[in-house]
Amino acid sequence: MSKSPEDRNPELRAIFFESANELLQSLNEAGLELEAHPADEEVIRRVRRAVHTLKGDSAACGFHKLGELAHELEDILTPQVAQQHGARFAEVVLAAADSFEAMLSSYQRGKKLPSLEKLHGLIRGLLVDTAAPAPAGGILETPAAVPANFAWTEYEQLMISEAVHRGEKVYNVALRIDPDSLMRAAAFQLIRNVLHGCGTLIALRPEDSLTAANVEIVEAALASVQPEEAINKRCRIPSIVSDVRVERATSAQTPDHELLGDLLDAQAAQVVANAAEHVEAADAAKAGQAASAVATVAESTLRVEANRIDAVMNLVGELIIGKSMLHRALTEFDQRHARDPVRAKLAEALGFQSRVLDELHKCVLKIRMVPVEQLFRRFPRVVRDVAKQCGKDVALDIAGQHTDLDKSILDALGEPLMHLVRNAVDHGIEPAEERLTAGKPARGTVYLNAYHQGTQVVIEVRDDGRGIDPAHVRQQAVRQGIVKAEEAARLTDQEALNLIFESGFSTAAEVTEVSGRGVGMDVVRSVLDKLKGTVHISTQKARGTTFQLRAPLTLASIQALLFRVGGRLFAVPLSSVVEISRIHEQEVHRVDQREVLRLRDQILTLVRLEHLSRLRSIDTEPAKKKHFVIVIGAAEKRFGLVVDSMVGEEELVIKALPTDIVTSDLVSGASILGDGTVVLILNVPAVLSRLSRAVPLGAIA
Amino acid sequence: MEKDLQIVGFRIGNETYGVRIGAVREIVRVPEITAVPSAPDTVEGVINLRGKIIPVMDLRKRFGHTEISSDKKNRILVVELDNKLLGLIVNSASEVLKIPPSEIEPPGSVFADGESGYVTGVGKLKGRLIILLDISKLLHRPELKRLEEAAETVATAK
Repeated sequence: MSKSPEDRNPELRAIFFESANELLQSLNEAGLELEAHPADEEVIRRVRRAVHTLKGDSAACGFHKLGELAHELEDILTPQVAQQHGARFAEVVLAAADSFEAMLSSYQRGKKLPSLEKLHGLIRGLLVDTAAPAPAGGILETPAAVPANFAWTEYEQLMISEAVHRGEKVYNVALRIDPDSLMRAAAFQLIRNVLHGCGTLIALRPEDSLTAANVEIVEAALASVQPEEAINKRCRIPSIVSDVRVERATSAQTPDHELLGDLLDAQAAQVVANAAEHVEAADAAKAGQAASAVATVAESTLRVEANRIDAVMNLVGELIIGKSMLHRALTEFDQRHARDPVRAKLAEALGFQSRVLDELHKCVLKIRMVPVEQLFRRFPRVVRDVAKQCGKDVALDIAGQHTDLDKSILDALGEPLMHLVRNAVDHGIEPAEERLTAGKPARGTVYLNAYHQGTQVVIEVRDDGRGIDPAHVRQQAVRQGIVKAEEAARLTDQEALNLIFESGFSTAAEVTEVSGRGVGMDVVRSVLDKLKGTVHISTQKARGTTFQLRAPLTLASIQALLFRVGGRLFAVPLSSVVEISRIHEQEVHRVDQREVLRLRDQILTLVRLEHLSRLRSIDTEPAKKKHFVIVIGAAEKRFGLVVDSMVGEEELVIKALPTDIVTSDLVSGASILGDGTVVLILNVPAVLSRLSRAVPLGAIA
Repeated sequence: MEKDLQIVGFRIGNETYGVRIGAVREIVRVPEITAVPSAPDTVEGVINLRGKIIPVMDLRKRFGHTEISSDKKNRILVVELDNKLLGLIVNSASEVLKIPPSEIEPPGSVFADGESGYVTGVGKLKGRLIILLDISKLLHRPELKRLEEAAETVATAK
């Protein structure tokens, strides 16, 4: 038992950290609920359960400081204290969640534990004011008899009687595993160790930890020289064992009782019988049943390292390349042996294979998908904290939390969303007085929403605040030297709004006037660019602002449109293609050193890839008079890409370019086609940002 | 007796160079190279090496040759640098050469100055002189630094 935390099973610790984080989340949620409804007994019970479980699990993993803190908290987190202190009670719960989190991360990184002064101060504050402390023990420790049948096998009975004949004292020990303990297998191990420490273990039910996961009662036959009370005491492992029954076993009689089913009935009956004093005990039993239900569900889930899934993903990617290789081969075969009867068989086999492959691809993608809730659920706390800091009253409304998206995209979106939500509370929502004079409810609301649209996931952050004034943004951007005054004047309102994503736009000191979005807003866009996503702002004065983030559902593959420029092959994500048009060279006009095209009464800026980069053409054919124009839209901007020929649509498995050597902002990735050709995927946001830099396009060529 | 040094010999212009065999992953024919728009000049483009996309540099340009003709003998040496694969185009590559240690001389006065720190020695084999190179030093010098700077300017420009 003296092992340091490091020596313990690292897997056990990993599970602990994982489950502890879930517990912290529920603590945070409960804390917020308590703020709204102080002294809600059901919530307090949930808090206690979480703290209690944390106590037991951390003790089992050897994190004693954490266990002690949990123990301390458990003593004061009672309905009585909550009734006395109201809001301060919630404060302690939230502070405790923070302290636990800090401690957990210190444990995880092997760092020094954080100071707990603040929390201890808060706890003491509660304790001092509590004239009559809550009755010791609390609700969960209420003793209840431990039902046990001690049905030993013949062999075990023989062992017991032999031990008794030798003059040893043999005890039948029954322990109830704490219903709140999530790690029953670990608890069982611990119990077994303790029993071994007490004497010679003759028999044990269940026999090993594999079957212990759903077991509530551990029974043992123990030969020991220690007195009954000592064993009873040693077996009471806090928060792992909730009850102990120790009785002397004699060789003659071994209680010959019913089976486990009857046993449980007996237990239920007992609980009912003692209902008057033991309401909470019944509650605990219920919780226990719930916990074991959770345990059964958990058994069908696997924790898999992300890179194993990535490996499978990569292989599926290779298979997709292989599929298009086969298709090409089949097309060639078609041309040569059109009448060969084998052809149909081949085509059929290929069709079958590609259907299965599609399914496989979807399945693998699904493995990586997680509900956006994992991201959203940290925001209630964020909104509460920020609102408190700014002295505002802000509610958070969350919808669409079951929308799935790729784990890596979800992780990447965490930071941008954090910025947007903080900004919405800090700058978007007006102070209460201002809201009331504007005829709005004093309490502001921030909305988080997520939904799928085509192959994209859309996440919206909306507030009902004051909105962003494009004129202010223009002024600010000019003052900060991001754009020149005359350029700013030329920008449309939408373009002006987008200036807030420029790095360096508005620092915290200067924000107040422009409803101050801009702190870290460049982070938002750069993350979305990296994900091949977009961010769109729509705002209405005094009505509020919506930020709409769009990201692909997965990063592993995209539907792309392939085309050639100067004999070279490129691709753009199909999701950014608006339309394709055919034009004659004469239709191209030059305005302000830019090439433009009139397309259905709209002026479209044209981009020629050969002008943007120093690519020399490898095409031997003379320049054609007719071109294709791919109209590409990202965010609210559009441009037309002039290309020589269209190649087609294909699903591309994205491979990263070795960016440290091939630094090119124009290309976001590459892929390999069925014939082995490398195709580069155009980085649409980068092309757009080059356009907006207002460099005359022809000048680079 | 010391072991012979095993090297991969390759030609650039009229010179024969050699690198330790351990430094070279493989030697491939020059496939179609996909040029990357806006990439640094030193990078010719990327190739598909059995499903992996790797960047390719022209070693002939690195050695200051301006007239570069491609022919069937051209090869790409695939080397590993900082755990990443990189292709280097050379005029032609030979098979593995074995040079006894006694036949290797230190870089000497000709290559003594700092700029050419990537020359590790000069080997003699059947009357030919083979300039022995340390690939990682060769590539870590100006190119990579310039690339890093380029990357930084791109990053700051954004």
